[in-house]
Amino acid sequence: MDIQFAGEHLLPGKLGQFFVILSFGTALLAAISYYFFTIKDKSDNSWQTIARVSTWLNSISVIGIGASLFYIIYNHLFEYHYAWAHSSKALPVYYIVSCFWEGQEGSFWLWTFWQAVLANILIWKAKSWEGPVLTIVMISQAMLASMLIGVEILGTRVGSSPFILLRNALEAPIFSRPDYLTLIQDGNGLNPLLQNYWMVIHPPTLFLGFASMIVPFAYAIAGLWQRKYNEWLKPAMPYTLFAVMVLGTGIIMGSFWAYEALNFGGFWAWDPVENASIIPWLTLIAAVHVLIVYKNSGHSFFTAIFLVLISFVLVLYASFLTRSGVLGETSVHAFTDLGMYWHLVVDVALFAAIAIFFLVKRWKELPISKKDEETFSREFWMFIGALVLTVACVQIIATTSIPVFNAIFKTKVAPPSNPVEHYNKWQVPFAIVIALLSGFTQFLKYKNTDVKKVLKSLTVSIVISLLVAALFVWITKIANVILVLLIITSLFAVVSNGKVLVDSLKGKWKLAGSAVAHIGFGLILLGALIAAATNKVITVNSNGSIPVAGFEKDNKPGENLMLYQDSTVKINRYSVTYLSDTTVGPNTFYKVNYKAVDDKTGKVKEDFNLYPNAQQNPKMGLVASPDTKHYLTYDIYTHVSSVPVITENTDEHSHESHSDDENYLDPLTKQVNIGDTVRYREGFILVKAVNRNAKIQNIPIANGDLAVSMTLEVHTKNKVFTTEPVYLLKSGNEFDFGKTIEEAGLKLRFTHILPEKNKLELMVYQKKPAEKKWIVMKAIMFPYINLFWGGTIIMVIGFLLSIFRRIRENKITTVKAS
Amino acid sequence: MKKSSIIGIIIIAIAIGVIISTYADSSTYGNFSQAKETQSELHVVGHLDKGKEMIYNPKQDANYFAFYMTDDKGTECKVIFNGTKPQDFEKSEQIVLTGQMKGDEFHASKILMKCPSKYNKDQVEVKASPTT
Repeated sequence: MDIQFAGEHLLPGKLGQFFVILSFGTALLAAISYYFFTIKDKSDNSWQTIARVSTWLNSISVIGIGASLFYIIYNHLFEYHYAWAHSSKALPVYYIVSCFWEGQEGSFWLWTFWQAVLANILIWKAKSWEGPVLTIVMISQAMLASMLIGVEILGTRVGSSPFILLRNALEAPIFSRPDYLTLIQDGNGLNPLLQNYWMVIHPPTLFLGFASMIVPFAYAIAGLWQRKYNEWLKPAMPYTLFAVMVLGTGIIMGSFWAYEALNFGGFWAWDPVENASIIPWLTLIAAVHVLIVYKNSGHSFFTAIFLVLISFVLVLYASFLTRSGVLGETSVHAFTDLGMYWHLVVDVALFAAIAIFFLVKRWKELPISKKDEETFSREFWMFIGALVLTVACVQIIATTSIPVFNAIFKTKVAPPSNPVEHYNKWQVPFAIVIALLSGFTQFLKYKNTDVKKVLKSLTVSIVISLLVAALFVWITKIANVILVLLIITSLFAVVSNGKVLVDSLKGKWKLAGSAVAHIGFGLILLGALIAAATNKVITVNSNGSIPVAGFEKDNKPGENLMLYQDSTVKINRYSVTYLSDTTVGPNTFYKVNYKAVDDKTGKVKEDFNLYPNAQQNPKMGLVASPDTKHYLTYDIYTHVSSVPVITENTDEHSHESHSDDENYLDPLTKQVNIGDTVRYREGFILVKAVNRNAKIQNIPIANGDLAVSMTLEVHTKNKVFTTEPVYLLKSGNEFDFGKTIEEAGLKLRFTHILPEKNKLELMVYQKKPAEKKWIVMKAIMFPYINLFWGGTIIMVIGFLLSIFRRIRENKITTVKAS
Repeated sequence: MKKSSIIGIIIIAIAIGVIISTYADSSTYGNFSQAKETQSELHVVGHLDKGKEMIYNPKQDANYFAFYMTDDKGTECKVIFNGTKPQDFEKSEQIVLTGQMKGDEFHASKILMKCPSKYNKDQVEVKASPTT
């Protein structure tokens, strides 16, 4: 059984696996010691010391896992399944980083890495909260580490290790050969869609967002556990804002990647994988608002803590959805099951159980306010806004979870056949309410507000937003009432928060962060709405296609357009020409020229080239990436949807007559004599002379042999070529040595001598006309999409300002307290 | 009663409405014979009939792709898709169509295909092997 395999490098894998086990052990030890440190007498520091040391050891082993895995991928050690499955030798170094998180194991590693970083920050900053908070964080760290173990326990494999050997992961006859590695020349390579710079930074950002959501969760549990129902809020606040900011950035980066690199023609598709990441983000945003409500008014404690707790449980639920394979055919993006279905279920259930346990245990002590809020108080409307966000979330969860319900109840319900329409139908009204609230609540005061005063200061904002909205509606020609309402309300959110921002510059600086974040949010809504509602496929097939009977009638016209090389097609206001293609590495870039000419003056107004590309990947088929021309107010987005299949090049230098003849049309056979003219498609051939004493290289001419050559002059495309095919009669057998003129696409053979007719037989072979190159492409115009991206950046700045504000407040209160 | 409790009840009512509507919007998995009986869109799971022709001629119409699919029950039907032929369609193992029947043809508005991807079908490709 024991085969000695040649050429394997087992050390990095063994080291990596050692670190995996160590990281699990140390995380568990840290969690246990932090637990005892929390419940034991504080004068004894030994538990804390053990806990800290094991947390640090955990961080070191997490780094060790990453380093081993990087070494394996970087050195192309294809004896490891992970390197074989996710990388290849041709991959540039900077994409090796992306290989890391193409697989599930790598993305788990990313998560555990960020969580380790956060654990270290908490040891440094959490002070009296260190014990309970880190107990929870390290439990989560142990759970994540267990996902990477990949060891069989009681007959079932727990987790999936990135260090498993290829020959252990797969079964194939070649693995019985000791030299199997010499047969595996290259890995499977990275999915071409992930070979994009956004894929280098989007996953780390997203996972930092996911990872940082453990911190508010841990603080909330710690608050319940230690009965410090009010105190946990302040230290948790900056982390909560940080998590919201980073996760939001990560999600929108993903959406930007989808827009720039994928060809589904948009920035958001309501795919289950996208939904899974936005759900916890929305609940945590709601949580932030209710936390502020509680902090300022003492109302809504339960809602606040519930939203914080559920947000992290939903993060785990998201990872269950995307990693367990439960989504099945409803998503093309989800991972397939690595045999961790129940492991992931346990993960969700464990943290849900922790949350429920503490809520139930402390239920009677919770500071639930018995008072009624004032109708015109800030807290009341913030609370309402948070609830609306939560309901919006419930809708997304309900539809996204259809496959989960199918799995539980053994039903076979299919998701809505038009998901985008389905989600928009619900989410647009929710967005209207939220935009309205985020505009007008900023003007209210906590406890109670003078309504008249508020209305007065709001009038200006309302008038301005109505005017701007009218302008937008006029330009974009949006006629749908609901959408117009969303334009008005999101502009109202922008304008009224703009007023708050201006006021804050005059001294009320505290509100600056929230004002900026809400302006960004309003712009995101506006940009998303306009781009999604008015984007227009401009390659509509209005001419040039032969309608298929009974088909075009009841369907929208096709959205793809066929372009032949060098011929121009009118698309919208552009004249579009497919000029050429260049192949760089695995990608073929199709150069497409767009030109807009002013009808009256004939002046060229716009002239630009786009280079949509396609990779004909032997393993994944055609992978097309778009190219986009960005203008301030709109984008022209273009991708190819079908291109001629590149066939493996046959050996160009084989001039053997048989295979060679396939490249030519059926030959013309002419009987000629000196002075004759032979006409063919692209010119004519003059028979100039006949040489009866032709010489052929390497073939001696014996007595009785005959070697004759024919001097021909080829006139084609204003050029003249001279050539001399040869006829040979040797030992009674006929041979001929044809001549090719590559430039003229001709092959000429002197095949017979017909003495009885006094004629010579000439065969003219013409190259087949090169197949005209073509592409099928689709172009979409996205108006005002920059509002969406710009809004995101503004929102992130707003969050940053808020984080600084909260940190500063915390410092001030600690100074006051001491 | 507290105002927030009333609002809570309203919110819960909306949430229930939302969930019910989700199921009103949801589609069903079916087969071709069921598709013939209904007017609404549904999902049909099946596999490509590789023996029959696939028509995609971009020179004639870049938005017409036709093929034959056999559903789970073994019924075969001509499928027409208003778009381009997905590359490597021939290699697909399973197809999920969304669409409806028009006469004897199934008009698909969406095609989802499952290919033997490297994620789920780990086939070792041996390049320099003398036996292959």
